[in-house]
Amino acid sequence: MILSISNLSKKYQNHVALNNINIDIPQGIIFGLLGPNGAGKTSLIRILTQITEADSGQILFNEKPLEPKHIRAMGYLPEERGLYKKMQVADQLLYLAELKGLSKQEAKTRLKYWVDKFEIKSWLNKKVEELSKGMQQKIQFIGTVLHEPEIIILDEPFSGFDPINAQLLTDEILLLKEKGATIIFSTHRMDSVELLCDQIALINLAEKILDGNVPELKERFKKNHFELSYTGQINLENLPLEMVSVAQKNDLNTALIKAKELMSNKQMIQLLLNTDINLISFAEKLPSMEEIFIEAVQQKNN
Amino acid sequence: MLHKIYLIAKREFISRVKKKSFLVMTLLSPILILLFYGLIFYFSFNKDLTEEVKTIIISDHAGILKEKLEPTKTIQFEFNNGLEESQASIEIDEREAYAVLFIKKSEKGISYELIGKEQASIGVVSTLEDKIEQSLKDQQLQQNGINQELLAQINKTRIDVQTRKITQEGIEEGNSGLTTAIGYIGAILIYLFVFLYGVQVMRGVIEEKTNRIVEVIISSVKPFELMMGKISGIALVGLTQFLIWVGLVAALSGPVSALVLDLMQVDTTEISQQMQGAANTPAAQQSMAAAKQSGPEIFKGLENLNLPLIMGMFIFYFISGYLFYGALFAAIGSAVDNETDTQQFMLPVTMPLIFSFVLAQTIVTNDPNSSLSIWLSMIPFSSPIIMMVRLPFGIPTIQILASMAFMTLGFIFTVWLAARIYRIGILTYGKKPSYKELAKWLFRKN
Repeated sequence: MILSISNLSKKYQNHVALNNINIDIPQGIIFGLLGPNGAGKTSLIRILTQITEADSGQILFNEKPLEPKHIRAMGYLPEERGLYKKMQVADQLLYLAELKGLSKQEAKTRLKYWVDKFEIKSWLNKKVEELSKGMQQKIQFIGTVLHEPEIIILDEPFSGFDPINAQLLTDEILLLKEKGATIIFSTHRMDSVELLCDQIALINLAEKILDGNVPELKERFKKNHFELSYTGQINLENLPLEMVSVAQKNDLNTALIKAKELMSNKQMIQLLLNTDINLISFAEKLPSMEEIFIEAVQQKNN
Repeated sequence: MLHKIYLIAKREFISRVKKKSFLVMTLLSPILILLFYGLIFYFSFNKDLTEEVKTIIISDHAGILKEKLEPTKTIQFEFNNGLEESQASIEIDEREAYAVLFIKKSEKGISYELIGKEQASIGVVSTLEDKIEQSLKDQQLQQNGINQELLAQINKTRIDVQTRKITQEGIEEGNSGLTTAIGYIGAILIYLFVFLYGVQVMRGVIEEKTNRIVEVIISSVKPFELMMGKISGIALVGLTQFLIWVGLVAALSGPVSALVLDLMQVDTTEISQQMQGAANTPAAQQSMAAAKQSGPEIFKGLENLNLPLIMGMFIFYFISGYLFYGALFAAIGSAVDNETDTQQFMLPVTMPLIFSFVLAQTIVTNDPNSSLSIWLSMIPFSSPIIMMVRLPFGIPTIQILASMAFMTLGFIFTVWLAARIYRIGILTYGKKPSYKELAKWLFRKN
């Protein structure tokens, strides 16, 4: 475990931000910290980045208590982006890296890599305020990872990115993971990262309500729903199936069917082949992260 | 920790010094200040430039002035003794006069009434009073057989008190004018420096907050380091500017003082013309000689001032005063989201600063060793300014040490206080906090 958080609590004057949180994050994965706005994600991140302190609980970094010297091992992209507007891009990036503890020489070498990669050589001497918003986002991302942190914490990383830049960012994140970095994603847009994340923790109202790896969670919360498209009439009488919804367009029907008992895909297909329909497509419908979240919150409340 | 403060200070320094506005301000502001004072100086020596010559018609029903009143540079007098109050308005229009003065005699005595189309200024009224009083006095003197020329001579009598100070080394020559000036210059510099750069610290903090860069920085350095780096970086900008000014003053003082003397020329020739009539008497000659000497006189007593001590103290109060107030300004900046919200918090910080500056010019200069002066020079809020004014007059070492000790404790305290507010403030957005909330921030856990 690169990070293990145990019994972490944090209270502000009027409300509890984190209540007895336990999360383990293995090294080299992409970890999603999911939850609605105000759930406590940013509070947790600020404790991890040592901006604030927890009231109680413990955080281990590589099995050792988190200390100020670990600041260097972390890169943080806050939800609210910001740079010094009047400062030149190169100066700004070198400054951020130096604050993290890199020497100027090291910082320059590493900057060169990113400059070549993003082809931003011509911007280095421009002031930040002269750049477009998307450009500023890229610069800030470079600022976050320039010192090659072991843990990269990204708070709502895709907000404000257009689809092209979002894809670019995704590619970079995957590449950083390949190189061994651990990435912590925080977002309230749960569906946006479920493809990317290896593991997630769901946080609601200051408490962790669920965690685990994504395929397992989907398996756990699946409702035996199947999505199929077909032509012809389907008759579900005498079958252990139930029609949830169906829509018809031209001759093509798209239906969501629920199996009354646990059923593998193979069993399901066999059942369907025995009916009169002409099956065109078939897929098991796994719950989205959002659905899992809602389900988990309901279970918790009961 | 020091390395990070150094990095932050370096960025603050470079980014500010590199701005064109820094160069412009550094070069332009001394010129503007000189020009400003030059103009004030020029106009106060040449009042006729700023004031038109006014005509005042005198209707002397009482007949006390004998149709004679000497005009001044700005007021001339015309007599029309038959004028009645009802005719005043027409008379003023016809002669384009400023006002009419009616002098009437009754059982109660003599009354003077100035009737004009506008409210007469206090300057005009007091000049008028002076002139009439002078005229009446002259008449009485003449009636009592005193010769006017003799009187003029007597009136020219001037003396010059030399000050000396008893010290352990004996009696030293002093110079209260110079002493006051040196202390005053030190106080002005500290006042300006604290004010201008303190506000810059505050703006810088607000800028980082509104830019939202602060969260990134705070994930790399401690809030205290960021605050101290900012304060010291801006201090260095100020010191650089200050050094450039010292250099400029040294280079420009020659030509500028020549210019000022040139402007004063108008007045001095006039004075000597006026004196010409009475110049033959021995008393007048003596005073002329004294006037000629007054050049080197200005610097008399300079060698008896403890300049190294004053310089050393200046640097101490310059830096500690700035730290004391700079930290408070940083705290204000951190507590708000934008500059318009700062007003409420600025007042309690700037009031003592302005207050001590005003007191330094009046009470403390007049009585540098009164108990009020001593107390003000102990309280860190006012001591940097007050102490500079008191210092050249010579004060006991124990007071200097006590003041320095309080000042040191003072800025350690404000830096601590500011750091407590700052660490919470920079991450708090939204509603402007109340004083009560700020007080809570002091004791809140991080």
